[in-house]
Amino acid sequence: MSAPTTPTLLYLDNVTVTFDGFRALNALSLAIDHHEMRAIIGPNGAGKTTMMDVITGKAKPDDGQAVFDGSHDLTALDEATIAELGIGRKFQTPTVFEHHTVEDNILLALKADRRPFSALLSRRDKVERERIDALLERVRLNRHRHRLAAELSHGQKQWLEIGMLLAQEPKLLLVDEPAAGMTDQETADTADLLRDIAKTRAVVVVEHDMTFVRDLGVKVTCLHEGSVLAEGPLDVVSANERVIEVYLGR
Amino acid sequence: MAALILNFWAHRMISFRNALRALLGPLVVVGALSSAHAGPYDDALIKLTTDNYADTDAGVAALVESGNPRAEAIIEALRAGTLLYGDGKLAIRGPAGVAVDATTATPLVASDAGSLKPVRVNNRVRRAVEAALGSMTLLSPDQRRRLDAAAAVLRSRDAAALPSLDKALAQEKVERVKIAMLEARAAIILNQPDSSPGDRLAAVATLGNLGNQNALALLANLPAGASPELTAAARQASETIAANLALWNAAQNVWYGISLGSVLLLAAIGLAITFGTMGVINMAHGEMVMIGAYTTFMVQEVIRNHAPGLFGASLFIALPLAFLIAGAIGIAIERLVIRFLYGRPLETLLATWGLSLILQQGVRTMFGPSNREVGTPEWMSGALQLGGLSLTYNRIAIVIFAFAVFATLLLVLRYTSLGLYMRAVTQNRRMAGSVGIRTSRIDALAFGLGSGVAGIAGVALSQIDNVSPNLGQSYIIDSFMVVVFGGVGNLWGTLVGAMTLGVANKLLEPFAGAVLGKILLLVAIILFIQRRPRGLFALKGRAAEA
Amino acid sequence: MSTIINRQAVVVLVLLALAAIVIPAMNLAAAPGSVFHLSDHLVPLFGKYLCFALLALSVDLVWGFCGILSLGHGAFFALGGYAMGMYLMRQVGSRGVYADPVLPDFMVFLNWKELPWFWEGFNHFPYALLMILAVPGALAFVFGWFAFRSRVTGVYLSIMTQAMTFALMLAFFRNDMGFGGNNGLTDFKDILGFSVQAKSTRIALFVLSVAALAAGYVLCRWVVSSKLGKVVVAIRDAESRTRFLGYHVEQYKLVVFTLSAMLAGVAGALYVPQVGIINPGEFAPANSIEAVIWVAVGGRGTLAGAILGALVVNAGKTWFTGAVPEYWLFALGGLFVLVTLFMPTGILGAADKVWKRLRSRPEDTRGELASQAAE
Ligand SMILES: Nc1ncnc2c1ncn2[C@@H]1O[C@H](COP(=O)(O)OP(=O)(O)O)[C@@H](O)[C@H]1O
Ligand SMILES: [Mg+2]
Repeated sequence: MSAPTTPTLLYLDNVTVTFDGFRALNALSLAIDHHEMRAIIGPNGAGKTTMMDVITGKAKPDDGQAVFDGSHDLTALDEATIAELGIGRKFQTPTVFEHHTVEDNILLALKADRRPFSALLSRRDKVERERIDALLERVRLNRHRHRLAAELSHGQKQWLEIGMLLAQEPKLLLVDEPAAGMTDQETADTADLLRDIAKTRAVVVVEHDMTFVRDLGVKVTCLHEGSVLAEGPLDVVSANERVIEVYLGR
Repeated sequence: MAALILNFWAHRMISFRNALRALLGPLVVVGALSSAHAGPYDDALIKLTTDNYADTDAGVAALVESGNPRAEAIIEALRAGTLLYGDGKLAIRGPAGVAVDATTATPLVASDAGSLKPVRVNNRVRRAVEAALGSMTLLSPDQRRRLDAAAAVLRSRDAAALPSLDKALAQEKVERVKIAMLEARAAIILNQPDSSPGDRLAAVATLGNLGNQNALALLANLPAGASPELTAAARQASETIAANLALWNAAQNVWYGISLGSVLLLAAIGLAITFGTMGVINMAHGEMVMIGAYTTFMVQEVIRNHAPGLFGASLFIALPLAFLIAGAIGIAIERLVIRFLYGRPLETLLATWGLSLILQQGVRTMFGPSNREVGTPEWMSGALQLGGLSLTYNRIAIVIFAFAVFATLLLVLRYTSLGLYMRAVTQNRRMAGSVGIRTSRIDALAFGLGSGVAGIAGVALSQIDNVSPNLGQSYIIDSFMVVVFGGVGNLWGTLVGAMTLGVANKLLEPFAGAVLGKILLLVAIILFIQRRPRGLFALKGRAAEA
Repeated sequence: MSTIINRQAVVVLVLLALAAIVIPAMNLAAAPGSVFHLSDHLVPLFGKYLCFALLALSVDLVWGFCGILSLGHGAFFALGGYAMGMYLMRQVGSRGVYADPVLPDFMVFLNWKELPWFWEGFNHFPYALLMILAVPGALAFVFGWFAFRSRVTGVYLSIMTQAMTFALMLAFFRNDMGFGGNNGLTDFKDILGFSVQAKSTRIALFVLSVAALAAGYVLCRWVVSSKLGKVVVAIRDAESRTRFLGYHVEQYKLVVFTLSAMLAGVAGALYVPQVGIINPGEFAPANSIEAVIWVAVGGRGTLAGAILGALVVNAGKTWFTGAVPEYWLFALGGLFVLVTLFMPTGILGAADKVWKRLRSRPEDTRGELASQAAE
């Protein structure tokens, strides 16, 4: 591991990603602490999803560093390895395994040996069953555990996905627009859930819904054209002239 | 006239001897060898009747000198062993055993013929005969005869032909014939014991410049006792020639490659269109090609039976028809089957495979399982000689045609609204749909276009391949490889893919053999796709990843 | 809860056991002429069907559960067949036309002086057995390692598998490859000392085919009902999600693909002594696609459906090619179109839907059968 050791959990420095000459990320730098929760806002196309792609190994930066947990160079690893390191990711559109039951979805996500032959030989033990029960309880899907994931409502799928991420026991959780398509009640519940989760691990939330961001009550980073425009408490950021201009509107 | 033409062909195809028989056989005029008015010609003839090799040799030379119009026939008979002598007379045995008087070509009375014996030849005489025949026809107005004569002289390597050869060379205008004569001349000089070392070196140089296979053979067979200097010069010339030939050979292979590439381009370009816009693999694409080929066959059948004069234009009539027929079938397939499988590319693959089986069997039932004869119009037969290259006209036509089709499609995609819509759908189907493009109509049209192009590819392929129900199958895997290699969504990728595969195939063939070459190429593509899973000219961006 | 032997498995295994008893009995015990008598040529024919069923099972494992549409499984089948054929050829010994104690006839014919190195060892049955598994497995491993690592998927992968079997076909057609070229391997004499022609051997081979199919089925059941099987289905349905959960998708695909190729190899090895020949035609791309349609007809992602489909389609093929040969390709082509259009879940899927509607018990929607509704 040649990457420098950093005290922060996630450390992005000067990251640039280009697509056919277009800079989706432009010398982006960002640091997330252990157990920190961070909200990322910014207009469409600001590069929020691309930033998550870089962190999770889906996109490879042309330039810059992405270091996780002190010593892991994320730019050199593939998605599965990064996930095993302890980074979980929730996509903008909920993706769960539709042909599996809710319970099996959680089971598949459960932290365990990921090698094929261990999977072939694994038996579900008592500890695992209790973990699954607890997680289903937490995302309120206990009653639906034997249903196929395909049959769940949109909001339930979002929660199932969050449940799966918890099952992974990541050190860092990346959540892309969790409130999109949710009712107000579901949105508020989701904010509660995320705050709760952030007590034990770091969480990065991308969200447009400003009420939701306010509900979270955490440090906010505003991206624009691939770099950080402003960073700080929500009140400070939303008072920033440039932020108002490019994002919030007057 | 008829006899002349007959002679001409027979000369080329059967052999000179048979030709003469054909010419002489029917004549029935009586006459006799007369020594009354003696001249060089008659003296020469008398030499031939002495049954002495030296005399015969001299006689042949004298006969050539005499310039008599019968000389050639007589010498030819001598070569063929049909020249008879006896009783101071010369005669030629005709085809049915009838002997004709050598001078007058009139049949002999049976009693006269009985006592005749063939004029005997030994190797020296035989060479003299070859040379004589060669030098006599070296000045013929007929280009082919001159060429044959030069070849005859080359075989004989007889110094006696040298003067006539020089004379002929001085006035020869046709490049091919001139080369043959130069070869013959160099061969004579190299084999002549009394030619000067300078002349020999010059001959080697001439051969080196000619640089063909014959020259190489001559240089490799220097007569015994050649000077070291000469041997060295010959070796060097051989090496130059070999290098030169290898170059021409490579060029020829590149040409074969380009021609194969054009065929692949024609077969694959329609596939690339459907794969590009709809993301479906049309396994029945090869059958569209096959249908195009059968359309050509049908057009030619109709023309043969009703308007034979149009045969030269049959391909031009077949092209639009093939486009329409294959295109219509393509649209029908899209509307009836593929449309319902949208978003399920693997199922589409299976369904179109089923359609391909049905189409194949349908054609087999209608036209029979065996190959159908598709004729090549006059203007497409023959070959163009370009230096050491030989380019057949039908291949040239296909290369030009393939590029024309490619250019047309490029323009259609760039400048028509169908093309614009198709590109939009290729890049982002959902977005195209939401800005009001009727994607399902575009799909049908794109499928029709791709299939129609396959149909016209079939017209072209009918010129170089067997037209059978399996025609399409033999191209489908190669077409896939082109598309996979070139990437979809960009016709240039298809062009580069087709040409690369065609040329690589033909360049590999001499080393690895046709089958192994093909296997190597398939393995290479399988490896290539590892590096670039979406081909050389892949579309980038999120839409392509979906 | 997923158990290896669920209700479906019980039915399959009981039916297979019945076949293993009834068919030999009808051949051996029933008096010739009685309606129950099964004539001798039918035993290897049914044996052949069973081999195809095992091939179909292997295709279903990769396609139905992992979403990899392999158009090249015929290659693994043929390789297993060749490995068995090589053993059988070595057993011929000096009984061949040229009576060479070591060299098979075709090598003597080609004027070869010694056995090529890759023919060594095939005179030992255990070695041949090992190769039956190892050769298809190794090819699948190498091919898959390259393909899955670079994330070649969907139709691209299908086309590449087709190119693979096509390239092998061309290679095996060559005489100097050392596999008998055009004619392949044939004129076998005996297997483990028993004449391949003998009635008893044929019955034994049939029973072995049943056993192999049953074992293959149980193995597949074990795989798909394990957590590995769930991961594989997850990959089929949402590949990148699975990756972000920390699963190395390429490893899983590789395991399943290789295992499936080995099953296909076993099927090919049992096929060869029963039909008496193996030639390069077995590598033809059309064969592999045909195996896919068996699975589609029976219902993919169900295992039992693959077996059912292989039996039904091949029985149909035997009937068609006997009665109206010119219509067979129409029928087969039509089958491809109709099944993909109207019966995407195959016979078992359709039957299952009808069954559910009749019983309409909502609870039944979960469990193993659910996975068959792929896409
Ligand atoms: N794979 C890709 N290919 C091309 N352009 C991309 C790709 N991914 C993202 N982009 C572009 O990069 C920019 C940032 O996108 P994204 O990260 O999705 O923005 P956000 O999530 O903030 O709305 C956008 O302009 C988008 O079009
Ligand atoms: Mg986004």
